[in-house]
Order: sequence, then structure tokens, then C-alpha cells
Amino acid sequence: MLPISYGTAIVVFCIGLYTILSKRNLFKTVIGLSLMEGGVLMLITSSGYVPGGVPALLPFAGGEPVNPLPHSFTLTAIVIGAADVALALAFIIKIHRRYGTVDIDKIRGLRG
Amino acid sequence: MRVHRNLQRLGALGLSLALGWWLWQGVTISPFQGITGPAARYIHGTARDTGAANVVAAILFDYRGFDTLGEASVIYTTVCGVALLFAKRRYRRSSHGLSFIVKRGMALLVPFILLYASSIIVMGHLSPGGGFQGGAVMATVTVLFCVIYGSSFEAARVSPKVKETIESSGALLFTAIGLIGLVTGGAFLTNSAAGFPRGMMGHLVSGGTIPLLNIAVGMKVGAGLSTLFYSMVKILEDPTESSPPEV
Repeated sequence: MLPISYGTAIVVFCIGLYTILSKRNLFKTVIGLSLMEGGVLMLITSSGYVPGGVPALLPFAGGEPVNPLPHSFTLTAIVIGAADVALALAFIIKIHRRYGTVDIDKIRGLRG
Repeated sequence: MRVHRNLQRLGALGLSLALGWWLWQGVTISPFQGITGPAARYIHGTARDTGAANVVAAILFDYRGFDTLGEASVIYTTVCGVALLFAKRRYRRSSHGLSFIVKRGMALLVPFILLYASSIIVMGHLSPGGGFQGGAVMATVTVLFCVIYGSSFEAARVSPKVKETIESSGALLFTAIGLIGLVTGGAFLTNSAAGFPRGMMGHLVSGGTIPLLNIAVGMKVGAGLSTLFYSMVKILEDPTESSPPEV
């Protein structure tokens, strides 16, 4: 099962990368950014998997616990991801108020 | 222009596929040999060192508590940034919200959402959950209020100043608990070595500083995310300001 989990993370990451590279709408760029972040988080979380492991809650009933360290790293990363998405959206709202569009090509064209 | 655009899209697709293939080639699953490194120490030492039942909470708020303080400051920085971008604007008007039925339904739901959020925060050292998750659930109340009643109602009920105060006092509480460890001769954010009672594992009062730090982080995250959402939505809802300038 672990290769499927890693594969899912890679696929989600690449969809996010394609979104960032190909889309011109700034909101879609932010969606791509958070998709890439989701892929990385999936990879980190699945790296802590232990075959037949139980949740890392004491007392461990019936087996060895999964690795709790990736879980706490993921929590940190989720918070930072939410913070940067919020800041990016705030900047996009500002850009829309200034230029009246969120298309990056049109904004470049306005600059001349 | 059209051809150029399609070429660009094709290039992006090729690059993404190539990167995905390259990453997939790097996936090797080595046979499991037991948990090693710091994680093994955390798993075996949590009951002895902290008394908390949730190992993830023990790592976040005890072993790596200083990291968590930095992480909570990231939210604070974001709130400052967004508030700075949308500063010095007084908006009085907002949308009138949704229908009467939705408003009544929301009013019935709010206490339960708040109860659920508080239980996630307070039981963070016993079960999956904690300050970050519970704070995020608490912030959904603000989101629902802004959507259903309109943002000026939200601001009238819980003033943004109150939220900022709650957020700052959460940060101060976290730092003060950390300083207690320093005063008693240990390191910053020392838990049971600084004299905090470990309690019985699995009871509500256990884990030393971990429940207190969970509450501090819950205040910070809940108020911070509410402020973030409110400061964005008050801009969008104003009818005089929403039309973009002519270009």
C-alpha cells in the first residue's frame, strides 16, 4: 500500500506544479500552490507509516505505534501553508482593486 | 498568440510529467526495521517525561515546544500582514445575509460548534486534536456568521479589537508558561522538571503544561483565523468599494 500512497502524493504535487506553470489566473495559481503543499504533506505523513501500526496514543493497544514525528511536522507545515495562502489571497485582492483584473498577462500588458 | 499559449501549456505538461516520473523512480520502500532516532525516544519517554497520552501533543508542546511558539508566531505575522494591507478602511455596510430559516438554524448550531471546538482544545493531550485544530474549528463560527448574517453583524457581536486582544493574550500566556520553566532553573518551556504535576495518564488534569499550552494556542489560532477571514471579507462586501477602477 505504501507505493500507492507515495504515488498519490507525487501525482497531486505534479498537478499543482502544472497548475502554477500553465494558468494565468492568479487565484488558480494559489490553488496550485496549496495542491503542491498538500502533496508534500501526504508524502511526509505516509513516511511515518509502520506496517500494522496503531495510532500514537498511549497506551498502545495491540501493536507498535506509527512514527509520531512526521505527524507533528505536518501540523507545523499545515499552519504555515494556511498562513501563506491567506497572505497570497490578500495580495491578489489588492491587485484586483488596483488593476481590475487577476489575469497576469493583462497586468503585464498594462505596465507596458 | 494562441499557438504560443498552447506551446507553453504543452511545455508545462511535459515538465510536470517528467518531474513526476523522476520522483516515482526515486520511490524505494525499504523493509521496516523499527522506529529509530528521536521518534523512538519520544515514544518511550512520553509517559515518563510528560504524562500526556497523545504522543504527537507531547512532541509539539513539550519536546519541541519552542518550535510551536515560532509556528504560532507565523499566524500572528500573517494576521499583521493582512491587517496592514487592508488597514484604515471603515466599512459600515454589508450584505443582509441569507434567509430567516438559515439564520435561526445557525443560531441553534453555534453553541454546539463552540462546545466541539473547546473539547478538541481541552482534550488535546488525551486524544487526537489540540490547539491548532480546535482553534480552526472555532474560527468557522466567524466564517458562518459572516456568510449568514453579514460581516457587520459579526463585527457588532464580537468586536475585532476583542479578537486581537484574545490573540495577543494567547501569545503572552504561551511565553509566560515558558518563562516559568526559566525561573525554576530549567530551560525555556520546561514541563515536569519545572514542577508542573504530571498527573495520572489519561485523566483530564495531566500532562503538566501541555493542556495550558493547548489553550494558549487555541486562543491564538481561533482569534487569528477569525481576524484573517473578517479583514478579507469586510473589503469584499462593501458595495461602494467592490467595483474595480477604470483602466
